[in-house]
Amino acid sequence: MSFVSIRNLQKSYDGTAVLHGLDLGIREGEFTVVVGPSGCGKSTLMRMIAGLESVTDGEIRIGETVVNDLEPAHRGCAMVFQNYALYPHMTVAENIGYPLRLARVPRAERDRRVREVAEILGLESYLARRPKQLSGGQRQRVAMGRAIIREPKVFLFDEPLSNLDAKMRVQMRTELRRLHRRLSVTSILVTHDQVEAMTMGDRLVVMNGGRIEQVGTPAEVYARPASVFVAGFLGSPSMNLFAARTADRGAVALNGTQTADIPFDAALPAGATLTLGIRPEDVSLAPQGQHAHAGIVDLVENLGGHRVVHVRMGDVMVTAIVNQLAALREGQPVSLAFPADRLHAFSAKTGARLSI
Amino acid sequence: MTDTALQAPARPVAFRLRFGTGWQRPLGHGLMILLSLLSVFPIYWMILTSLRPENEILSTRIWPDAATLDNYAYALSAIPMLRMLVNTFVVSAVVTAIQILTGILAGYGFSRWRFRGASLLMGAVALTWLVPLQVVMIPNYLLVARLGMIDTLGALILPHTASAFAILLLVQAMRSFPSEVYEAARMDGANHAHILWHIVVPNLRGTIASLAILVFISTWNEYFWPLLLTRSAQNSVVQIGLQMFITAEGTQWGPLMAASTLASLPILAIYLVLQRQVIASFMKSGLR
Repeated sequence: MSFVSIRNLQKSYDGTAVLHGLDLGIREGEFTVVVGPSGCGKSTLMRMIAGLESVTDGEIRIGETVVNDLEPAHRGCAMVFQNYALYPHMTVAENIGYPLRLARVPRAERDRRVREVAEILGLESYLARRPKQLSGGQRQRVAMGRAIIREPKVFLFDEPLSNLDAKMRVQMRTELRRLHRRLSVTSILVTHDQVEAMTMGDRLVVMNGGRIEQVGTPAEVYARPASVFVAGFLGSPSMNLFAARTADRGAVALNGTQTADIPFDAALPAGATLTLGIRPEDVSLAPQGQHAHAGIVDLVENLGGHRVVHVRMGDVMVTAIVNQLAALREGQPVSLAFPADRLHAFSAKTGARLSI
Repeated sequence: MTDTALQAPARPVAFRLRFGTGWQRPLGHGLMILLSLLSVFPIYWMILTSLRPENEILSTRIWPDAATLDNYAYALSAIPMLRMLVNTFVVSAVVTAIQILTGILAGYGFSRWRFRGASLLMGAVALTWLVPLQVVMIPNYLLVARLGMIDTLGALILPHTASAFAILLLVQAMRSFPSEVYEAARMDGANHAHILWHIVVPNLRGTIASLAILVFISTWNEYFWPLLLTRSAQNSVVQIGLQMFITAEGTQWGPLMAASTLASLPILAIYLVLQRQVIASFMKSGLR
């Protein structure tokens, strides 16, 4: 049974549809990450759940209640904004305690709870400061404090880490996960960052063009992307995608290469077009002649622990990840192999995954 | 980032006139000194004349030979100067308070609410700025007369309870206030009144202070409307009091300058105390 349930949710602005009938169920206590490129409608979806945007059509239910027409404050959601949206003229304690002040919670009780929340977030010594006297990470924590103190049924995080520097982002990512484990409150986080999505979510919702492309655990979505979009969007470096056609039963030919066909057991008639995908870490790279497909090393990117190698194969570029030990230099001829069990196939027409 | 936007109005932009290097620099400073002298000289001359005895009043010497406070004593006894100063202060303070109040309310409505005809209404408000006093003078006078308010301080305040300038300035300031803060307050359970008075207004203190200074000074200097409205010296403002020294028999320069000095003291004090804010407010309003 879903705790937050979204049915046929639609949103249009002046007749232009931005969300095209979304259906989504989020279980209680789950950490769901909604991920997608800019303009895919993920923030609109979150703002509609929060009550900051009206619903054009469809239904949003939190617990047993349809919240479509409820005021934001009455939905039981607390939101952490991308730029924190702290009240600049209030101290940290006043910022955190503000929702309680509005709810007319007595002062003593309010102070006690502010101290409790500050303790959870390590903000005890900053309570008398104003937001402008805090670092980005501290502001982020204050924003979370203001959300936590309301004891909401659902936490909404709108790109909460994107204003932080790289180091702080990694730290806050872990802190957010720990906090979720401690509080076990249903959380929805919106991000365009796939690393954030992969590392933080119990489940991922991948969106594109106002539609949900796939819902699943990070491992599922990574291992079996439901569409060419998901395949290309998640993973860094992204999946190699080739235009291909079936040569004869059991093999496909990549367009633009002269090399041998790839063994591939697809139930497709000969000559059908499709998109073939393989993750860079699944491409095997060896000295010339060892594998079936020949190529030339175009560029080597050294990332410390491993190297990303771009190989030219006819007109096609293939990205592969190799370990540090392999000796590779630009311009060197190499051979590649695409293990059949690691290949992904997508319809060239619809982009949907084809079962292999 | 959000905070920069919020903190911006606090300090005025520093004047940094660049005159280049070498010989251009002393030339630039010389020009500035000359302009400053030109601006300050009339004030100096007013104070100087106010201190001169009657028989030297039209003297062109740059230094006073003998200073006297006779003109001040005369000015204070000839017209109810203190009463007029108090009246002017009351009118200026009340007009400032009311204009800011109406400006804040209208500014919030225009900046946060979407309603049918909003831009039309906003346009109409902006257009009232272009209507000169002379056009609305007679209808306003008739209105005040029908209300039986001729020769009262209330009549000096009534036509100034809202101003397009205040509304437009505050609409602009509220529009540039980050919308996420409004939304955060809504999610925290604040209603519009609470958002306006507890979130928006405390963060627009700089803008409101600038506006207050501008409105106060312009109301203090108002001459024409009080001239139409007031009959008795007791209910008059200081600008009208000054005019009483200019009579058909001639101008009493000494007392006129003494009264002018007294009338400009409060404004001078505002300039001295709030110099930075005054400059900032003039710059912000584009009046520089």
